Amino acid sequence: MARYTDEELKEKVHNGFIVEYPDEMTEGYRNALIVQLLVQADTELISAPAYFGAAKDAPSTNTMVSATAIIQDELAHANIAYRLLEDLGMDKEQLVYGRQAHEFKHPYGFDHPLENWAELVVANGLYDRAGITLLGDVFKNTSYGPLKRALVKVDQEETFHLRHGEMWMKRLSAAGGEAKESIQRAVDWMFPMAVEWFGLPDDMKRHSGQLDYKLKGMTNDELRQTWMQSTVPLCESIGIEVPAHWDEGRERFVLDYAFPCEYDEDEKRWLMDEGEISWSQVFERWKGRGPANKRFVESIQEGRAFRGMLEAA
Amino acid sequence: MKEPVYEVFARKAREEPLRHIGFINATDDDLARVYAWKTYDEQNWAEMCVIPRSAIIPVDPGESQFVTANAPATEDSIVHARATGAYGGSDVAIKGDA
Ligand SMILES: [Fe+2]
Ligand SMILES: [Fe+2]
Repeated sequence: MARYTDEELKEKVHNGFIVEYPDEMTEGYRNALIVQLLVQADTELISAPAYFGAAKDAPSTNTMVSATAIIQDELAHANIAYRLLEDLGMDKEQLVYGRQAHEFKHPYGFDHPLENWAELVVANGLYDRAGITLLGDVFKNTSYGPLKRALVKVDQEETFHLRHGEMWMKRLSAAGGEAKESIQRAVDWMFPMAVEWFGLPDDMKRHSGQLDYKLKGMTNDELRQTWMQSTVPLCESIGIEVPAHWDEGRERFVLDYAFPCEYDEDEKRWLMDEGEISWSQVFERWKGRGPANKRFVESIQEGRAFRGMLEAA
Repeated sequence: MKEPVYEVFARKAREEPLRHIGFINATDDDLARVYAWKTYDEQNWAEMCVIPRSAIIPVDPGESQFVTANAPATEDSIVHARATGAYGGSDVAIKGDA
């Protein structure tokens, strides 16, 4: 049924071919695209309840407006990604309302409650930057036309989220005292969280097909480096310590701790002193999901009750 | 509750052509207008309109982004797999993986 074989399609997309229609996809291409869009959609969706918990802590009504505007953007981004999945034959309804919490595919980092204003702005500065790093790469390189077009809006808004995060990280750090300490505490657990969610290092990478089908352009390590290139100098410039530095000899950023390592969910603390763990241990932790996983997914799915009433009418 | 697709078109200034900027799902035209306006608020659009996808008649149906032949729903193995998702979507386990 497909117009091309897998090999033909891989070659075509690397020569600049843009896929627009379902019958141009191979089974492999379609599955890889679906996985990519699911992770993207779920991440946008779950960032909303995560941000909402801390937006309540905004220091003024003005800042609450900008924080809730960011949440509104994230829900719109999620909606757009699920819409794209619908055109690939998926059931949007079932994806949002019909799955168990542990089946959602957002990163483990978003299974953790953000508990105060400092954690929210560090999430904007670090997690939204991870979002821009990844989606910016997808925008530049993706061979799927509808996704490239949809990302124009998303990238514009993510840039605003990032600026919001940077501005507030600077402001709270400049205030010193308890304000600065709260930024440092947030960075201490959130920086390694972001480093980890770029995934397996390139030398261990299982073959995923996303590069072969040109659904993205950069490898995990390249993306992680790109993220550190802007995150590390930002933190250093405001007097916030991060466990990474620029290595002149190797001409790249290197981590100052055993990576990957274990995380204590109750204490919100990385067990860096206990040394390196294996990536299969990391995957086990991810699969077990984090402490707020159920609560966040439930808060999204609560609307089910009223959906039922509408359907019965 | 399957909600129909509406395509969203807009322009930033009077002299510009309308551009396709996105899409939304809505159960009726009025909701479509509201959802489009609230979703695509990244610009101060001079004009925006929504068109039910079903009302678009492609001149060449073989080359139209508004014709989406719905493939059969994808294997549960992807949808219901426990996630080990990295943000970039590169490491989602497929059911049966260790
Ligand atoms: Fe977003
Ligand atoms: Fe964002």
